[in-house]
Amino acid sequence: MSARRIAVAAALILAALLWTTTIGAMVHAIRRFESTPGRAADALGSWPAASRIPRAPGEWRLVMLIHPHCSCSRASITELERIIEHSPPSLRTYIVVYRPSDFAKGWEKTDVFTSASRLPRTRIVLDQDGHEARLFRGFTSGQTYLYDGDGKLRFSGGITLLRGHAGFNSGSAEVIEIAKSKAGAGTHPVFGCAINK
Amino acid sequence: MTTMTMNETTPAVEDRAAELRDAQLDARRKRIDRMFAVLLAIQYVAGILGALFVSPYAWEGKVRVLHMHVWVAILGGGGIVLLPLLLAWLKPGAAITRHVIAASQMLSSALLIHLTGGRIETHFHVFGSLAFLAFYLDWPVLVTATVVVAADHFLRGIFWPESVYGIANPEWWRFLEHAAWVAFEDVFLVWGCILGQRELRASALRQAQVEHLSEQEQLKSAALEMALAEMQTASA
Repeated sequence: MSARRIAVAAALILAALLWTTTIGAMVHAIRRFESTPGRAADALGSWPAASRIPRAPGEWRLVMLIHPHCSCSRASITELERIIEHSPPSLRTYIVVYRPSDFAKGWEKTDVFTSASRLPRTRIVLDQDGHEARLFRGFTSGQTYLYDGDGKLRFSGGITLLRGHAGFNSGSAEVIEIAKSKAGAGTHPVFGCAINK
Repeated sequence: MTTMTMNETTPAVEDRAAELRDAQLDARRKRIDRMFAVLLAIQYVAGILGALFVSPYAWEGKVRVLHMHVWVAILGGGGIVLLPLLLAWLKPGAAITRHVIAASQMLSSALLIHLTGGRIETHFHVFGSLAFLAFYLDWPVLVTATVVVAADHFLRGIFWPESVYGIANPEWWRFLEHAAWVAFEDVFLVWGCILGQRELRASALRQAQVEHLSEQEQLKSAALEMALAEMQTASA
């Protein structure tokens, strides 16, 4: 066997090993990244009194914390839209958009922000330095809360199946079910970028 | 001296036809290996650009880091294309080259689907790729590609169903439904490959027959010229 043939065979065997190893490592890395939830909210059982988000007695409120540059939160916005479509029209939604005060004006105007601002029956609240997120004791973009008419927390968690994956999942299904039946409570892991450490 | 018409064949003509067909197939498959090498390289760059465009950074409050998808596109995508590019360069036209290319093309589809956030539209890449692979006129290559798609769905369906079906508890047979759509396209592509091979064989046979007839005519002309020369010599 010539030296060139040996070199070609060795290069191909090495490449084949690298090929299979890379594929395995890639699947493992993606799986780990996407299925690891963010830090869950340490939410209080009732509406935080110090919040500047308006709350009228008897009205249900849906609140979502968003980091505007978190690409995974596009999926949360998609799921939120589905929840709004399937929930009673009386449900008011507030999206709390994280905004560090020392960043340039307009930093928060991303495609996530634009999608959020187009949702029906929804208001955007700019959250300077994550102050509101701290009141709601939330840490992860996509964290969603559902409060009933008495201000009692009915749902706390995420509404996507994995990081950045829109589609049917038990989190959003629970929110819709609770908002429709006005009964029950639930929680679900939240997937997204960190807002407050 | 034997004579033959255009439609008749001899073992020598059939051997020559097989030789011509093999040469044409080999040249064709080498060209397609090169085409896939370019395509895989373009897809690799497109995957990186797509990741940079769709999800460039992951954030922790005010701090941003390069998103995992960008690393996956650079390192994972690079790993996927490395072996087929080497094979297309070092072993063009070999059966192993096109089978590895088929597997890598399907893995590139899976990666692109993932990088675009599982967009249903990106799944068209799988069907387009199968059509390109049919250019080889080698139906087992389509089987390799289909097995890779089915295995990807089967294994992810067991260990990570959310990533492929969007739900945590799909039916065990769900991967068969996805693979059936691929098989649906395969049926026609395999048929196309068999027809293509048949046409190539017929064309090679015609060429071999023409070559043989031409040789016979040349031999006849030579014999005639020799007879004429002999007659002229005798009359002189």
